[in-house]
Amino acid sequence: MSLIAVQSLSRHFRVLNRREGLIGAVRDLFSVDYRIVKAVDGVSFDIEPGEIVGYIGPNGAGKSTTIKMMTGILKPTHGSLLVDGNEPYENRKSNARNIGVVFGQRTQLWWDLPVIESFKILKEIYHVSNEVYDGQMALFNDLVDLRPLYHTQVRKLSLGQRMLCDIVASFLHNPKIVFLDEPTIGLDVSVKSKIRTVIRELNATHNTTIILTTHDLGDVEALCQRIIIIDKGKIIFDGPIKQVNEMFGAYRTLKVQILSFQDDTMDQIRAQMRKRFNGVPIIVENTEPGWTDITINQDEVPLLEVLNHAMGSFAVHDVRIVEISMENVVQKIYEGALE
Amino acid sequence: MKRYLALTKSAFLSVITYRFGFLFTFIGNLVYMILVYFLWRSIFRGSTTIHGMTFDQTLVYLALASSIFILFKTWTEWFLARMINDGSIAVELIKPVDFQVYMLFRTFGFVLVNLVVITLPSVLVLFFVFGVRIETGIGLAFVPLALLLAFLISFALDYIVGTSGFYTESTWGISMTKEIITTLLSGALIPLQFFPEGVRRVLELLPFQAIYHVPLTLITSPDLALTDCWWLLATQVFWVLALLVVSRVFFSRALRVLTVSGG
Repeated sequence: MSLIAVQSLSRHFRVLNRREGLIGAVRDLFSVDYRIVKAVDGVSFDIEPGEIVGYIGPNGAGKSTTIKMMTGILKPTHGSLLVDGNEPYENRKSNARNIGVVFGQRTQLWWDLPVIESFKILKEIYHVSNEVYDGQMALFNDLVDLRPLYHTQVRKLSLGQRMLCDIVASFLHNPKIVFLDEPTIGLDVSVKSKIRTVIRELNATHNTTIILTTHDLGDVEALCQRIIIIDKGKIIFDGPIKQVNEMFGAYRTLKVQILSFQDDTMDQIRAQMRKRFNGVPIIVENTEPGWTDITINQDEVPLLEVLNHAMGSFAVHDVRIVEISMENVVQKIYEGALE
Repeated sequence: MKRYLALTKSAFLSVITYRFGFLFTFIGNLVYMILVYFLWRSIFRGSTTIHGMTFDQTLVYLALASSIFILFKTWTEWFLARMINDGSIAVELIKPVDFQVYMLFRTFGFVLVNLVVITLPSVLVLFFVFGVRIETGIGLAFVPLALLLAFLISFALDYIVGTSGFYTESTWGISMTKEIITTLLSGALIPLQFFPEGVRRVLELLPFQAIYHVPLTLITSPDLALTDCWWLLATQVFWVLALLVVSRVFFSRALRVLTVSGG
C-alpha cells in the first residue's frame, strides 16, 4: 500500500456572498446567501515512501487546503485519505507523530524563546529519545550550522534563519513524511539554495517522504522527481518532472528593453522575427512598460541568434532572460501541451 | 505528562520576558487596592460590620479578588480567537497533543508567572504594608485546591469564548461581556454577601462565583465547618467538569467549520 493514498478527495467551503457598500454590509448581517467554493475538487493520487513530490499550482489552486487535510487540520468534505494507514482528521494526534510540517508563512517555534528551547520543547512533545535527538541535531549541524543561532530569540531571526530552524524542527522527531508548504517564499537566492540542499540531504539520509508546495519552479527542478500540478481544485498533471521539463524546459523568454519604444515597435519586431526565422513560432508580447517579451523554444531556434538579431535590428538598452513561469506552465497544460 | 509540563515551562519562560508589562500590572493592582481601601473605609464609617463582614474582611476579600482576577488574566480567549482568525492555529494542530490540554498547560504557565510576579507580592503588600488582620479558619487549608479548581473554571470559560472565534471574526464584544458578567456576578467587585438575599441565591447557582467567591469565602470566613468546605469545593468540581465538557464539545464541533486561508 502507498504511504499516502488520496481518493477523489474534496473540500468545499461555504462562503457568504458579500454585498457592496454600507447598505449591503448591513443587509449581510442577516444574509443566508452562501455559495460553495470547491477549494479541492475530486483529487486522487498515491505517494510512495522516499519520494519528493512537488505539489504545485498558482495562487488559490487548492494546494494548502490539500496539505491541511493530509495533516489532519481540515476535515475532507468527500473522498478518502489515508496517510500511513491513518485517517488524519479522525486520528489527528497519532497522525501528527508520523509527520512534520512547515508552513512557510508561519512558525511553529516559540516566538519569545531562544531557538534551542523550542527544539527542547518539541523533543518533549514528540517523545524524541535522547539518541534520536542527538543524532538529528548532529545531522542538522553537519548540513547547516545552527549552533550560533541557538541562543537567539526566534522573533529576532531573519526570515531565512527562521525558515531553516523551522525546517530542522519539522525533521526533529524523524517523521516518515514531511510537508513543506512554501518553504522558500520570500527568501533570497542564496538562502533558497541552502534550503534546497538541506531538504535534499534530509530526504536522502532517512528516506523521508517529502511533499513540497511551492510557487517557485526552481524549487521543483532542484528537488522533485515527480510533480503534481493542481489548478482550481483539480489535478491537471501528475507525472515525472522530466516530462514537464521536456515540454517547457527549453522555453525561454527574452525580455528586451528598447530605446525609443513606439506604438509600432512591437509590430516591427514581430515582422523582423518572422522575416529572419521563418516558420518558427516566436511569441512577441508586451507585458510591462518599455519591455518586449520574446518567447521561444530553444529546441527550435537558438536563443543567441534571436538575441543577436534583436540587437542588430533595434537599439536595445537592456536584456533579461527568464524561464517560463508557473502560470504559463499551467496555461500551456490547459492548452493541451502535454497530450 | 512530562511533555505537557514542557509546555507550561515554555509559557512560563515566554511570558516572563515581558517584565515591564508585569511591573505595570502590579502597580495597577496596588492602586486598585488603595482605591478599594478608601472607598470601603467611607462605606464602613460608623459601622463595624455590614452584612456580617468587618472592614478588614471586606478589604481582604476584594483585594484578594482583584489579585485572583489578575492571577487568571491570561488572555486565553484573545489568544485562541486570534489563532483561529489568522489561521496560526494550524501550527498548533499539527502537534501530537490534545489541543485543549495543550492550551491548558500553556495557560497554567502564564498563571504561574502571574502568581510569582503579581499575586504573591500583592498579598504580601496587603498584609504587611496595609497591615490588615483577619481571622481564618479551617477553610484556609483548602485554598490551594480551591484556587486550582477556580483556575480550571476560568480557563474553560475563556476557552469557550475564544472558540467563538470560529464563528465570528471579532470576539471583542463576547469577551467583554464575559468579563463584565464574571466580575460582577462572581463577587470580584462586590462581595456576594452584599447582594440581596434572592439575587445571592441565584448567583450561587452560577459558575462565576465558583471562581472568586468560593476561594475568598474559604479565606475570610473563620467559622466554616468542614462540611461547608467540602460543599464549596463540590460546587467547584461540578462546574469544572460541566464547563470542560461543554468547551471540548464546542471546540470539536467548531473545528469542522475551520477555514484557514493563505499559507
